Amino acid sequence: MKTFELLNFELKNKPSEDFTPYYFRAQGLEKNLSAKPCTARADGIYSLFSIPTPIILKNEWVAGNLHFLFTNIENFFLDHAKGICRMFPERSFETNKDHYAPNYRHLIAVGLPGLIDEIHHSLKLHENDPEKCETLAAMGRTLCGFKKMIENHAAAAEACKDLEGYDHEKLDFIINNCNAIVKGKPQSFAEGLQLVWFCHNAFLMEGRYAMALGRMDQYLYPLYRSDIESGRITDEVVVELLENVFIRLQDDIVNICIGGQNKYGECEVNPLSRCILRAVGNCNVPGPNLSLRYTLNTPDDFLDDCLKTIGTGLGYPALMNDDVNIAALKRFGYEDDDVYDYCMVGCIENFLSGKQPPWSDGRFDTPRYFDYIFNRGISSTNYSIGLDTGDVSDITSMERFMEVLEAQLDYGVSEYCAGFYKRNNSINQKFYPEPFLSCFCDDCIGKGLDINDGGSKYPSVHGAALMGIGTMTDSLAAIEKVVFTDKTVTLSQLGEALKCNFEGYEDLRMTLLAAPKYGNNDDFADKYAVWFIDYLSSLFDKYKTRDGGGIYVVAASNTDNIGAGREINATPDGRLRGEPLSDAASPTYGRDKRGATSTVNSVTKPDYTKVACGTVVNQKFSPAMFTDAKRGKLLALIKTYFKKGGQEMQINATSREILIDAMGHPENYQNLVVRVSGFSAFYVTLSKSVQIDILNRTQQE
Amino acid sequence: MINLSNIQHFSVGDGDGIRTTVFLKGCNLRCPWCHNPENLTADPVCLHYKNLGKTETVGKRVSVEDIIPELLEDKDFYETSGGGVTISGGEPMLQAEEIFTLASTLKIHGISVFVDTAGSVPYDFFKVTNPVLDGYLFDFKSADSEKYKKIGGNLTLVKDNMARLMADGIPFKVRIPLIPDFNTDPDSVHAMCENLCEVGISKVDLIPFHRLGTSKYEAMGQSYPYKDTPPLTDEELRCIKSVYEEYFSVKTE
Repeated sequence: MKTFELLNFELKNKPSEDFTPYYFRAQGLEKNLSAKPCTARADGIYSLFSIPTPIILKNEWVAGNLHFLFTNIENFFLDHAKGICRMFPERSFETNKDHYAPNYRHLIAVGLPGLIDEIHHSLKLHENDPEKCETLAAMGRTLCGFKKMIENHAAAAEACKDLEGYDHEKLDFIINNCNAIVKGKPQSFAEGLQLVWFCHNAFLMEGRYAMALGRMDQYLYPLYRSDIESGRITDEVVVELLENVFIRLQDDIVNICIGGQNKYGECEVNPLSRCILRAVGNCNVPGPNLSLRYTLNTPDDFLDDCLKTIGTGLGYPALMNDDVNIAALKRFGYEDDDVYDYCMVGCIENFLSGKQPPWSDGRFDTPRYFDYIFNRGISSTNYSIGLDTGDVSDITSMERFMEVLEAQLDYGVSEYCAGFYKRNNSINQKFYPEPFLSCFCDDCIGKGLDINDGGSKYPSVHGAALMGIGTMTDSLAAIEKVVFTDKTVTLSQLGEALKCNFEGYEDLRMTLLAAPKYGNNDDFADKYAVWFIDYLSSLFDKYKTRDGGGIYVVAASNTDNIGAGREINATPDGRLRGEPLSDAASPTYGRDKRGATSTVNSVTKPDYTKVACGTVVNQKFSPAMFTDAKRGKLLALIKTYFKKGGQEMQINATSREILIDAMGHPENYQNLVVRVSGFSAFYVTLSKSVQIDILNRTQQE
Repeated sequence: MINLSNIQHFSVGDGDGIRTTVFLKGCNLRCPWCHNPENLTADPVCLHYKNLGKTETVGKRVSVEDIIPELLEDKDFYETSGGGVTISGGEPMLQAEEIFTLASTLKIHGISVFVDTAGSVPYDFFKVTNPVLDGYLFDFKSADSEKYKKIGGNLTLVKDNMARLMADGIPFKVRIPLIPDFNTDPDSVHAMCENLCEVGISKVDLIPFHRLGTSKYEAMGQSYPYKDTPPLTDEELRCIKSVYEEYFSVKTE
C-alpha cells in the first residue's frame, strides 16, 4: 500500500473528542477583550496557532492536520469559549471570508522571516499612523503565532521518536523542513511545499473553506528545478510528497491550477505540472479541484495525460481556455502581469492570486422573469414581485417581447445588486479585520491596511451566477416559433398553459418541445444564447462592488440549477414547474441531440470574454472515448471547442449503466467520483435528484 | 436525389478522425444481425418507440445540395482531427451516382470522404465513385460462399472487388464484423484470414457484435433475431484477435 493510502486511513480515524478551534482562539481573545478589533483578533489567532500541541501522523512526509484541534474539556469551559468567540463574529462567504488564492509566490520567494521583516519595515514607514501600526502589529502577531505553530510541529515530531510505529526518516524530514522554514526562505521543494501546506492548514484552522492552492506548478517550480538539477530529488519523490498533501483535500474544494501562458504567450507547462497531474490522479479523491489553463501551445502529450486522468472517472482537470479568460479579465483593467498569473478559486472562478479580497457570488435565476411577464408582475409560484409590464395580449411581435423581457431583467439585476450590497455591506469592515489573511495579499503589509479595507491591490469583485441559459434560450426560441412564426397559439393562451403547468395543454407542450433547441447548431435558437450573455453582462457592467470592483457574470451553476428550478414556474420551452433549469452554460440536458460537435458549435456562439468569472459546459462521454484508439478524437473535439472560443469544458467519463447501478447499489460505488458542474463529489453521497440530473446530461458519443 | 436515412454528427467509429456519417437507405444484403434494420429497404420506414411515446419516419429523398450545408458545419472538427464525411447505409454503393455528386462537392471544400460498403456490388459502381473518394471502409463477412449467398451476397464478387481496388490503387480498410455463430469459430476465422491474405491485405479492423439495435427492431414491430445473443466476452475477443494478429496488423473497435 502506498504511503498516501495509509495516511488516508490515519486521517479518517479522527480523534473522538470535540472539534474545538474556538476553544484555542478564545484563550487569546480573553487576554484583552476590549482591545482594538485587529489586536484582539490577532491575539485569538495567535493562541489558536500556538497553543494546541500538534499531532504528527505516522505516514506524514508533510506535517499539518487538524487532529490537534480536538479536546475533551468540560462543556462549561467550551460554552464559555463559544461565548467569547461570539463577541468576535466571523465574516461569511458573502462578506469576503474565503474562496481566496493567497500570494504563495511571494511567500515562497521571501519566506516566513522575510514576511515578518516586511512588516517591521512597514511599521517604520507608518510610525506616525497609529491605526496602521496597530493593523501591522496585528498581522505580525499572527505570523508569530504561525511561526510558533511550525516550531511546535518540529517539537511534536521530535517527541514522536520515542513512540512506537513512527519512522525516524519521516520525522527527521519533518523536523528539518520545519526548522528550515522558520529560519529562512525555503531552499528545497519539500520545504516550500511544507510551508504552503502549513499556511493552507492555518486558514482551515481559522475556519476558512475553498482556499485555493493556485498555480503550484509555477510558484514551486524554481525550488523543484534546483532540487532536480542538483540531484537532490526525483519526480517519484515529488509525486509522493504531493500525494501526501492532496490526499487530505477531501471535504473541501481546493483549486489547483496547472499550465497557462505568460505574457509573451509562452506555455508554462513544466515537469512539475506533470507531477501534480500524476499525484492528483493517483489520489483519486474529489477535493483537489485541478484546473488546466489550456493554451494552443500546450503540448499534446500533456493534454493526452490530462484526458487519461479525466478518463479514470475522476473528471479533472477541468479544462479552461486561457485566451478567453485572459481577454475577459483584461476588460477590468488589471495589469498584465497580474492577469497572466490568474488562477481559479472554488470551482472555476477566475481570480488574481493574492491581489484582491476573497471572492463572493450569488444566484441570478433568469427564467423566473417569464412568470412576471405572463402574470402581470407577480410570480405564480412564490409571490415574488417583478415589473408589471402589462397584458401579454398587447405584445404582438417577438421584438416587443424581447423589449419587455429586457425591462424585466433590467429591474431584476438592479434588485439583485441591491440585495448583494445589503448583504456585502452588512458589516463594518473596521470591526472584521483579517490580520492573518492580509499577510498573503498584495499590498496589505506595505499599505498597513486590512485586505478588506483598502489593503489589497485591487478591489473586491463579485460573481452573478446566471442560471438557465439553456432554459431561457429554448423558451425564447419556442415563443418565436410557436407564437409569432407559426401562430399556433397566442401569448395569452401560452400564459394560461404555463399557469396550469401544462395540465390540459399537453399538445401545446409537445409543440413547444418540438421547437428548435439550444445545442443543435441551429441559429434560430442559438441567437438567444448570444443575446443572453451580451445583454446580461451589459446589465451587470453598470454596477460595481462596494470598493469599486467589477461584478462579473458567471455561466456556471454547481447544482443550484436544481434548487432554482424548484422555485420556478413552468417555462415556455415545455419545462414543467419545479423541474431543474438547464445546468451551467450547457444546453438543457437531453435536448442537444445532434452530437458533441453540434453542441460545441452552439455553445461557442456566445462571447465568453464577457463572462469574467468563467463558464462550465458539462459534457459526458462513455469510457470508450478514453481508450487509446479514441482519445485523440476527443482531444481534437476539445481543441476545436477552444479554437472556436469555448471557455471551459468539464468532462465526465462515466457510463449510464454504471450510474444507474450505483443508484441501486451505492455500497459498490463508494469511490465513484463525478463532477457536478464545477466540482467533484462522490456520486453515492449525492441526493437522488442530483444523481438523476447527472444521469440525464446528454451522454455524447 | 439521394435516398437519405439519417445524418450523424461526431461519429468516432466510421474512419479517421471526427466524422459526420451520412446513412443512405436501401441494401442488397439481408444480414440477420444488422444493427440498422431501418436502412434495409429503399422505402421509408416508420419506427414507433413505445417507451418514449415517440414515432419517427426514416427515409426521404433529398437533393445533394440540401445536405451539403449540414455536412460543412463540422469542418473545423474535420480539420483538427483529420476527419471528414463517411457515407454508410444500408449499402450506399447502390447510389453510386449520387455519391459521386455528393463527394465531388465535398471535395471542392477540401473534405475527406469515405464510403462504408459491404462490397457486394458490380465493380462498375466503384468505378463511378473511385475518382472522388478518399477511400472505402470495406466489410468482409465470411470466407464461405454459401454463407455469403444466405445473406444475399457474393463472395467471389467481394474478393474480386477488393483485388481490383488494390490494383487501381484505391485505399480501403477491411472491416470484419465478428458475429457469433457466423464467422467467429476457429475454422471460419482461419479461412477468412487466408482469403484476405490472397488478396494482399495487411491491416484489418475487427468490429465486435453488439445488440444495441434491438430497440430499433421493436420500434419497427419486428423481433431481432440476435436479441438474446450476448456480446463476445473479452476472452473470446482476445482469442479471435490473436488469430488475426498472426496475419495482419489488427485494430479492434
